[in-house]
Amino acid sequence: MPYSAESLVALLPEIIGAVFLLVVLMVGVFLPGSVRVVGGLAAAGAAAVFAAATWMFASGFHGTFFGGGYVVDGFALYFELLVAGCAFFTVVACLGWARSAGDATEYLVLILSVMLGATLLVSMRDLFGVFLALELSTIPSYALVAFDRRRRESPEGAMKYIITGAVASSVLLYGIVLIYGTTGSASLPDVAKTFSGPQQPAALLGLLLLISGFAFKVSAAPFHFWTPDAYQGAPATAAAFLSVAPKMATFAVFLRVLTEGAPGEAPVWTAVLAVIAIVTMFAGNLPALRQTNVRRMLAYSSVAHSGYVLTAFAAWQGNARAEAVQAVMIYAAAYAVMNLGAFLVVDIVGEEAKSFNGLVRTRPGLAASMFVFMAALVGIPPLSGFWGKLWVILSGAGSGSVLTYVTVGALVVSTVISVPYYFGIVRGMLLEEPVSSEVVKKGEPAGLRLAVHTLAFLTFVFFVGIAPLSAVARAAGML
Amino acid sequence: MITTVTIFIPLLGALLMMLLPKEFEERRVRAIAAAVAAVPLALALYVYFVYRHDLGAPALTQNVTWVSSLNIGYRVGLDGIGFGMFLLTALLTLIAVVAAWDVRRNLRQYFALLFVAEVGMLGVFAAQDLVLFYVFFELTLLPMYLLVGAWGDENRRAAAIKFFLYTFLGSTIMLAGFLAFGILAGSFSFSTLEGGGGLSRAAQVAVAAPIVLGLLIKVPAVPLHGWLLDVYLSSPTSTNVVLSGILPKLGTYGLLRVAIPLLPQGVHPFLPYIAILAVVNILYGAFVGFMQPDLKALVSYSSLATLGFILLGASAVNTVGYNGAVLQQFTHGLYSALLFVVVGIFQARTGTREISQLGGLVGRMPWAASLFAIGSLAAMGLPGLAVFSSEFMTLLGGYDAHPVQAVLAALGIVTGAFYFLYMLARVIFGPIKNPAYEAIQDATPLEMTAIFPLAALLVLIGFFPGLLVVVQHHAVQSVLTVIGGG
Repeated sequence: MPYSAESLVALLPEIIGAVFLLVVLMVGVFLPGSVRVVGGLAAAGAAAVFAAATWMFASGFHGTFFGGGYVVDGFALYFELLVAGCAFFTVVACLGWARSAGDATEYLVLILSVMLGATLLVSMRDLFGVFLALELSTIPSYALVAFDRRRRESPEGAMKYIITGAVASSVLLYGIVLIYGTTGSASLPDVAKTFSGPQQPAALLGLLLLISGFAFKVSAAPFHFWTPDAYQGAPATAAAFLSVAPKMATFAVFLRVLTEGAPGEAPVWTAVLAVIAIVTMFAGNLPALRQTNVRRMLAYSSVAHSGYVLTAFAAWQGNARAEAVQAVMIYAAAYAVMNLGAFLVVDIVGEEAKSFNGLVRTRPGLAASMFVFMAALVGIPPLSGFWGKLWVILSGAGSGSVLTYVTVGALVVSTVISVPYYFGIVRGMLLEEPVSSEVVKKGEPAGLRLAVHTLAFLTFVFFVGIAPLSAVARAAGML
Repeated sequence: MITTVTIFIPLLGALLMMLLPKEFEERRVRAIAAAVAAVPLALALYVYFVYRHDLGAPALTQNVTWVSSLNIGYRVGLDGIGFGMFLLTALLTLIAVVAAWDVRRNLRQYFALLFVAEVGMLGVFAAQDLVLFYVFFELTLLPMYLLVGAWGDENRRAAAIKFFLYTFLGSTIMLAGFLAFGILAGSFSFSTLEGGGGLSRAAQVAVAAPIVLGLLIKVPAVPLHGWLLDVYLSSPTSTNVVLSGILPKLGTYGLLRVAIPLLPQGVHPFLPYIAILAVVNILYGAFVGFMQPDLKALVSYSSLATLGFILLGASAVNTVGYNGAVLQQFTHGLYSALLFVVVGIFQARTGTREISQLGGLVGRMPWAASLFAIGSLAAMGLPGLAVFSSEFMTLLGGYDAHPVQAVLAALGIVTGAFYFLYMLARVIFGPIKNPAYEAIQDATPLEMTAIFPLAALLVLIGFFPGLLVVVQHHAVQSVLTVIGGG
């Protein structure tokens, strides 16, 4: 029974998200200039999606709907929570900027539509559904990147993003079509049957194209070149949001497609992803060392972190499958709080590395939060990033595959390589003299400041939540 | 419970430091910091007097499961191998607080960071879980980076990042080994993992390799010591106390309490090489130390040599050698802290650390110079002072296990004696080289409170090493029983 009342419940977070999106749009049209109201509504929307997903999670609601193309399980709900949480912080943080830019409604609507696409995405169990939801979250993000018309970098970054994104989408679609052509179905369980039978070259090619398409979307090497330009050009809050929420949702569905759709080909794709992971880490960390622009640095850092997450993908074998899924989930949460926070600090302080100099004198609270984010991105305990890396290394160590051991080794090495650029910021903040007193913008919006400090707090106390979080991930991760 | 309280009291102290009003005068800040630092020391001394005979197995333990699916827990406890260092950490932190007279800027932040580092150090010596051990291990990293980077001399920033990169590389490599070990054995608890945690010999070797490598970087063992001199030279005196007194022991303690007891078969093939590295440390430290024109550099390299003896004793894995290594961790901390503080005093008075510029200090500052002489004599292993007994034990034990290495290591004592005596002759005896030195004053009462206890302990333990051996020998024995050594 494809359209029962239950299937409406299954869509509850998405319905709520869509309703709030429309309400925000309407209110923005009919009450122009009421940034406070639309902002409040957008934040309430994100919070309501979060609450709905929490309720579904707590009540143990799960099942497959709409002919098996849509699934609600702990894994999907976990990522919906993550996406909604990130959207909430982004909305709270961006209000001041959106007000001054004059297009608050449009900006918020775009963020909410990315959120809607990302929440749908994680529940998709049909390749065409995956494609549609992915585009639903990607297309608004092009507009988000291009949003800051006052800066030259913004349209430039968006242009690169759109072109590479369109190519990625075509590659992804081509892969899906090849798989569909051999399978006769786009539903993941059917696809799995094809892949567990005798090997079919066309399907395998489709799988590789699919992986390439996803690699574009999660900015994995060698498809990551759009990332620094897009993140540099985008408004800082948009870059913050795009680097976490849709990316983590894409990782989630990527993992679902591979593990539910092609478990039979796991030896192939774990090997491919191990190689991609290694290349990605270095393709992110090495250029990051040279950056003087903090946004570009964080963009390259986010590339590197994609490599770390993909290490867990590569570990999906042997006895480590459950750990690998857990690792992706825990890493996603750990990464979300620290990276979102770091980008938001850049929004306050400025994107030139120099502008961080002496921050501890001029803005000690902000410097403390940035210190937490930077140390967490390096992976120093007990901050959040450490636990993400811990789980990735754990899953890699348990996988029993030599290639994964190599990947974990690369992770260790590239983590150390990443220290100088993160600590370049720390050094500037704590050990250098301020360049001049005027680079410090005082009086940023309270919401932005609140978001930064809350995220820093969450990054710091992650170790308290790691036990329940891992239990949740364990329960939810049994794909 | 008392263990946990002792570990985390400095954290409260750090918070207190940050909350002190800005306009508080410097003397009161120092007094409050000293009072805070005295609390863990008092608690550790209480444990010493009440439990010193009962630390064969971890006592005063606390177990809280942290991540149940992976069997990671907050497990702490004090055993004889760790307790000496636990006590020394509390002691040297107090000394470092007292000796922070050359820290003038941002005093409250300085003490706060020192206390955060103390939490990490105390935690390492009490941890009974691999992940927790690592967490505490890393907790020392950021504060030490900042202590060197913000309060050091003009080369401080380069030194700080060098320190960070080396030690972070080491600890991350170590972590990979820990995690592989824990995953394969199904637990991260020391008590479950003891003796190999059921791993095959080959698996133990594979896991032990990164752990040992990571620990050796921390010590540092000689080819891995690139960060040492820059960092030691750049640091303020009071940071030196912790940096040389405690931090290297994180590495040696890791060998003595973690790598060897938990992975006996895994570490076994590496032991002769560790002994070789020990010899390299001893001889390299002695020869390079001899060449140094800078007094602080000389002390730094002598420290490297003394750490070599700990490695030698550990690599012997027999009763004498192991006891010597554990004891040497303590005695090295005492003398190196003493020497670094007195070098700081000399520098404050004379404005230089160049050995060739100094001379005749004993005439102008008899107390400081005599205590410096005691520290130096201890460093070269003079009988009657603390380092002699521990060093001698590591050599005896080492001779049983690795005779060639031990004989070569013994050469280090000769060279050490030579260059220390030569240095003493130039620095504190002889004519006064600079007429300006005629006016300098002896150590103030405050300075004496920092150095006198260290010198007194060097003498006391020199005559009564049993005071510490009584704490550790049961624990050492039980480790050796577990791993089937003798």
